[in-house]
Amino acid sequence: MPRRSSQVLIAEDLARGGQTGAAVTACYEALAVDDREPFAHCLLAHLMLDGDFYDEAIAEATTAIELDPDCSPAYLALGLAYDRRGGMWDQSVLVWHELAEVVPDLVTAHVQLGEAFAAAQFEEQAVESWQRALELDPTEARATYNLAIAALKHEGMANALPGFRKAGELDPSQDDLFFALLGVSVVPDRPVDPAKVRADRDSRLGAAGLAARADDLFAAAELARLVLDEEPDDADALAIAAYTYLKQEATNEAMACALRALASRPDLPTALYTLGVVYSKRTGLSRHAARVFVALAKAAHTQALSHVLLAEALLGLQRYSQAKKAYATAVRLDPACVRARFGLAAVHLTEGSHAEAEWEIRRAAYYDTKRQGLFWKLYDEYAEGGGE
Amino acid sequence: MAAEEAAQLYQAFVDQDPAAAIQVVERARSSGVAQAQLFDALYVPAMSALGGAWASGEIDEMTFTQAAVVAEQIGSFVLPPAAKRDTGVTLVLGSMHRDLHSITKDVIASALKESGYRVNDLGVDVRPTDFLERLEETGARIVIVCAEMLATARAVSRVRQMFESAGKDDVVILAAGAPFAADAGLAREAGANGVITGAESALKLVGRVAADLADGRA
Repeated sequence: MPRRSSQVLIAEDLARGGQTGAAVTACYEALAVDDREPFAHCLLAHLMLDGDFYDEAIAEATTAIELDPDCSPAYLALGLAYDRRGGMWDQSVLVWHELAEVVPDLVTAHVQLGEAFAAAQFEEQAVESWQRALELDPTEARATYNLAIAALKHEGMANALPGFRKAGELDPSQDDLFFALLGVSVVPDRPVDPAKVRADRDSRLGAAGLAARADDLFAAAELARLVLDEEPDDADALAIAAYTYLKQEATNEAMACALRALASRPDLPTALYTLGVVYSKRTGLSRHAARVFVALAKAAHTQALSHVLLAEALLGLQRYSQAKKAYATAVRLDPACVRARFGLAAVHLTEGSHAEAEWEIRRAAYYDTKRQGLFWKLYDEYAEGGGE
Repeated sequence: MAAEEAAQLYQAFVDQDPAAAIQVVERARSSGVAQAQLFDALYVPAMSALGGAWASGEIDEMTFTQAAVVAEQIGSFVLPPAAKRDTGVTLVLGSMHRDLHSITKDVIASALKESGYRVNDLGVDVRPTDFLERLEETGARIVIVCAEMLATARAVSRVRQMFESAGKDDVVILAAGAPFAADAGLAREAGANGVITGAESALKLVGRVAADLADGRA
């Protein structure tokens, strides 16, 4: 295992701190001292990729791998550079395959390998790679999105939609929307104890939201119940109760609570969200889901995912051009919205625009891998000797 | 009347009486409420009442859960029909001879099937004679020919010639695929009556052609 020089450590700190230019300079200084240090080449590849210098990233990552074939972060940078550059699918397949060999339990390597196979028109191998990813992690949303796209290509939208919905449920962004609507942005670092919450409505509702955020659905339900004991028509409490039922797969109870909440506050976003999700799970209620999500997209128009949910409901109604507009709005609000990108890819496929579909999938892959912070995870493991 | 029936449905939920719930639904249906309206007119208010009863403590958690089970059991009686009605319109679809591209064809076929069209999908690499043969078997008057390469797109004219030689001049040929989307003149040259650019375009165009055929205008 090669050691990191002090210059590389400086470059690392700068790169982690987002000072890309200074980090690049530090990498070159490190290479001036020792041009056979894989860390410096690998770091430089990552930085070049960040700046959209794909050929430079490919050259640096290749050098890092030549210097140490176990340099897993270099494989990641190389694969991403090939994918983003485009038109180098055979090399891309090889690199992701290598990374999957070097780090066999790295789910993203299998997902990326599948995407490279799909781009190279090896559909069967692509599906096998995504299925392998799901064997390693059954909650892998991106593999599920990709399988839905594959189903769309061969069986049409009707058979692909359940896959998109399943992927959406696995995608953490869906729960994030509910909590954004609720105004709860952070996961509490301590469990919520209902007995210690102040006995007023706002404190109880606030604590219920935090408990739900921490996945303590029983505490959340208990706190919502306490609010309802004092005011049975409290729409906010009913909406939280609806969400806790939804998360426990009790969709009828969730529907009952959400409908009751909307009876007193017809535009309450949290209740609209839960009701729409319940409707979208049921065959035959696509029109109802679309109606509810139209209201949600109006009530929460700055939330990208509210437009994604609307778009998915519109797909169920075969209103592809309206769905495209809703997805495009979502991407405009949040360019890193993986679910919107895959949805947009699906609509492009229904229009026969295959190149545009592939581009959206590539963007989705880029943002998803970036969101995971995978480079630094692999880099740190490699630095600790985990790559050996 | 609807409010009264919704209250009865709610009571059947709370009483955990699926038979009574079904009777309420059947009564509503026989009183003239359409299947597509049952969910909104009956089920939604009953479920809202159920949520209200739970929130006010009128029913306990156990009753709420059991009532939700009954609600689930009668769900299929009140849901709007999932599949669209059979349009009665038959069409034949396939990718042109020597063209193995299937994605556009599959996406269009699925969208049309979902919308109630009777789709005869001949697959890929379909010869003009196969289109004619299936046309005669099914009595279809609309044919969708997909082609993703310039050479196979040009060859669609052979399908038109084949139909004409068999006296099927009135068959509507719709061309689909990237070459036609890029150059509408190509479809005209090939003898196609229209160009499909995707699933939504297929639904619109086939709907219009089917209406024209029904009116005797096509």
